Amino acid sequence: MLSLQHISKFYQAGGTRNFVINDISLEVEAGEFISIMGPSGSGKSTLLNIIGMLDEPSSGYHYFAGETVHQLKDKQRSALYKKFIGFVFQAYHLIDELTVYENIETPLIYQDFKSAERKAMVADMLDRFQIVGKKDLFPAQLSGGQQQLVGIARALIAGPKLLLADEPTGNLNSKQGEEIMQLFKKLNKEDGVTIIQVTHSEKNAEYGSRIINLLDGRIESSKQL
Amino acid sequence: MIKNYLKTAWRFLLQNKLTSLISLTGLAIGVGCFLLLSTYIMNELRYDRFNDKADRIVRLVQHIKSTNNNEEIINAITPSAPVPVFKQALPEIADGARIFNYSGYKPATVQYSDKLFNERNILMADESFFKIFSFDFLEGNSLTAFNQINSVVISASTAKKYFGNDDPIGKILKVNNVNSMLITGVIKDVPAYSQIKFDLIGNYAMLSRSKTRKWDSANDYSYFLLKPGTKVKSAEQKINAYTDNLFKNDGDKDHRLQFTLEPLTRVHLYSKANDNLVPAGNIRDIYILSSVALILLLLACVNFLNLFSAKSIERAHEVGVRKVMGALRGQLFIQFLTEAAIITLCAIMTGTMLAWLIFPWFSNLIGHQLGFQTWDINVLVLLLIGIFVSVTLLAGTYPSLYLSAFKAIIILRGKSGGNAGNSTLRKSLVVFQFAVSVFFIIGTIVAAGQMDYIQHLDTGVNRSNVIVLDIGGASYNKIQALRTALIQQPDIKNVSASYDSPVNIAGGYTIDKAEGATGNLNMMVTGIPVERNFINTLGIKLIAGNDFTLGDEQRVLDTNYQKRVYSFILNESAVKSLGWKPNDAIGKQISMNGRQGEIRGVASDFNFASLHQKITPIAIFPEYDYFGKLLVKVSGKDMLNTTNGIERDWKSFFPDSPFDMHFLDQEYDELYQNDQRASDILIVFAFITIFLSCLGLFGLVIFSTRQRTREIGIRKVLGASITSILGIISWDFLRLVGLAIIISSPIAYYAMSKWLQGFVYRINMQWWVFVLAGSVAMLIAFITISFQSVKAAIANPVKSLRNE
Ligand SMILES: Nc1ncnc2c1ncn2[C@@H]1O[C@H](COP(=O)(O)OP(=O)(O)OP(=O)(O)O)[C@@H](O)[C@H]1O
Ligand SMILES: [Mg+2]
Repeated sequence: MLSLQHISKFYQAGGTRNFVINDISLEVEAGEFISIMGPSGSGKSTLLNIIGMLDEPSSGYHYFAGETVHQLKDKQRSALYKKFIGFVFQAYHLIDELTVYENIETPLIYQDFKSAERKAMVADMLDRFQIVGKKDLFPAQLSGGQQQLVGIARALIAGPKLLLADEPTGNLNSKQGEEIMQLFKKLNKEDGVTIIQVTHSEKNAEYGSRIINLLDGRIESSKQL
Repeated sequence: MIKNYLKTAWRFLLQNKLTSLISLTGLAIGVGCFLLLSTYIMNELRYDRFNDKADRIVRLVQHIKSTNNNEEIINAITPSAPVPVFKQALPEIADGARIFNYSGYKPATVQYSDKLFNERNILMADESFFKIFSFDFLEGNSLTAFNQINSVVISASTAKKYFGNDDPIGKILKVNNVNSMLITGVIKDVPAYSQIKFDLIGNYAMLSRSKTRKWDSANDYSYFLLKPGTKVKSAEQKINAYTDNLFKNDGDKDHRLQFTLEPLTRVHLYSKANDNLVPAGNIRDIYILSSVALILLLLACVNFLNLFSAKSIERAHEVGVRKVMGALRGQLFIQFLTEAAIITLCAIMTGTMLAWLIFPWFSNLIGHQLGFQTWDINVLVLLLIGIFVSVTLLAGTYPSLYLSAFKAIIILRGKSGGNAGNSTLRKSLVVFQFAVSVFFIIGTIVAAGQMDYIQHLDTGVNRSNVIVLDIGGASYNKIQALRTALIQQPDIKNVSASYDSPVNIAGGYTIDKAEGATGNLNMMVTGIPVERNFINTLGIKLIAGNDFTLGDEQRVLDTNYQKRVYSFILNESAVKSLGWKPNDAIGKQISMNGRQGEIRGVASDFNFASLHQKITPIAIFPEYDYFGKLLVKVSGKDMLNTTNGIERDWKSFFPDSPFDMHFLDQEYDELYQNDQRASDILIVFAFITIFLSCLGLFGLVIFSTRQRTREIGIRKVLGASITSILGIISWDFLRLVGLAIIISSPIAYYAMSKWLQGFVYRINMQWWVFVLAGSVAMLIAFITISFQSVKAAIANPVKSLRNE
């Protein structure tokens, strides 16, 4: 489904280049569930953002769903991204001014779904995550776990093929974290969503089918489970 | 999609009540002021255009060159001959009408049965008047209105005043006790934007001079209707060719009659003629006011822009998230523009309401009755839409562009989000706002100073406690009798009379003979016929010779001019122009427009016209043919009793004229009405701009302190005192205000010098004016800043740090 070849990312600091991603090549097949691990600052988030097309590599080749990403224009990349990718964040990143319902609805608006369709899709998603009762609340009125549920619901609303999650349980307690991981596993197994998650927790990493360890911007090890 | 934008925009505005309110208030005030000013401007620009034939109507003005300095005077008052003569002789001229300002010198008394009114707006016009100009008849009609020699047409409100709901047609009004006028028509009140304003307009044929065609005495306004297709210039050439031919045998060509034609629609704003029917506007004022209107609107937009872009710190997160959700930059741009549009819309509605509420007061300030009814509704709607679109774009574009350009990646790096945007831009805008404010503060101080100077300048005439009564044309005997009666009263110090107002003497005379004088012998002087106690009553100082005597009075009473012997008091300037020292002048014979006599005294120079003009030569002389003003000098003690006494005597001598007194000080102040108005308007603008600037500053300080909560918290933990924190925050902004003062001062100095140059007698701008204006701006800015900065400085640091 996606392929990174010799991807590097560096920041210029004075005269020297600080490589955050250093010549990484990675193939991901549809249906995989990958956990990325590694010490803080090793480049996990950067890699995930590059995969998610939010960040651009300094060099290398990037293919996604048959498209040559590194040659696409911004608009095409955005269209590709809208169609295939959902994002989940450690800090949830819900819009404070919008209700739960509206937050989940937002991606649909940008994908030009008709109002009636949107209604049905959001209702369906609320139902599936059992948060119908919370739909008119604002993010500040929810617990962290609930907020992350909304965040995931929002990421999934448009039916992405690839779910990217940057430390989705980082701000949650272990029980809440476990629920989210169960949910991911189910999505992966039953709905066939490809998932790439960044995590610091060995235990959560083991929900995946492959664990990739980063160190100083390189893949240190990769283990199939 | 739009619905969604509207919803989020609306919610965002509600959730940010304070800043939304600040933006809205600022914009509403800007829009309100803009509406008021543009109403005024629009009204000035459409003057007289309501006349169907406006593009063919012209006004005749007369050019006069004075003999001694070749200065050209343009006068709107013309002789009685041109209209009938040119109408007959020149094919280019289709029609013409003379207009005489019947109540121009003094109000006319108009009587209907037992009702008696003083009317100040009576005109007399030739029969063609209503065929040339377009006034709407409610009763009667334009073709037959002046069919009777004694016809009069009155305005709707005059009709109401005299007759209530009765039919005025056919009723007779007695005017000044001599003319009986027959009402033949009622018109809608003359619009505020007409250069010809009247409550009553009678047939010119009632005037005795209507039968004569005189070229040498000017009393009338002359309007012509040109044949379709006739160029104003060519008609003008024809007229002058005609008069040149007519007067070819009269002396010096340069000083013959010379006329020009002014297109009707240019008269109000562009005419340079004196003595207009209604005070003329000035195209320069229109430019100035247009700039002011735009600047105020701009200031308000600046506020909005500033607050909106400062807000971006808080919105960066939202932008990032939306982008991750797939929003394109264009979509976000439109979302933010929608927010700007909503605020603008609310502001326009509030501003329109505001304007509506303020219109009566504003009308007072500028001396015109204006309101939304002044507008053609379609034009008004177009204007409002125009304001809406331009303000939205002006205030909304930059922040929307800026906000929508945030990169999603920024927020993924953590909570802190974007920065506050281009702070240089925002700072320059604050500087701009305060520069405008400081400009108006300086303007206000200078104008107030000049007005104060005018009021307290010793003009050489003691105006205090002088009561003026308009007595236009009362006979010598009656005035003497009234004077004798009045002077009996203990609180009346002196009584005199004069031709026109002693603070605004206008009569033009020429001294053509002077005994052994070496100086100019065709000398233009201002002259005023007075009752002999004039000098004394007004406390004018004599530097040589004596005041007039009873003998001087008696020698000018003869009805036969040839037998009169005049006496004169000249001022210093006049004597100097004649080449004399004050003492040499006494007893010298002079001749002035046929008046022979000797110089009795020399008065020290005093201001007899507005302080815009230099003191020029003047001759004061007893002559009892016509007095316009009765001047009563009172002690100032027990005013009520004194004025009651005057009224009693007045009633017994003039039972048919209403008692209508005022003070000489009022006449003096009226000379500076325009200046006073300019000064008032400056004050208003100073307040508005200061307020707008403070709103903007206040908004920015909120953001700055919010942005720096953490910094302030850390500083406090490290032991910074509240004052030092206040200092840190204030310094940032006060620096900008300082810069504004530096930028604004020279501009204000230049502009106010220009204004002051209009006065011959004026103050000098002192350095302290600028210091004062600067301090005022600083103080106001500091207070504004303090509201927020104190709050930030005393906040508990533990709280703000824990929130991080
Ligand atoms: N704009 C930037 N300029 C310079 N260096 C940067 C920039 N953004 C990120 N970095 C550096 O890139 C490196 C990798 O950052 P990244 O966020 O990918 O780490 P991470 O593995 O996700 O760490 P963590 O586990 O703490 O989230 C870090 O050392 C960071 O300092
Ligand atoms: Mg990270």
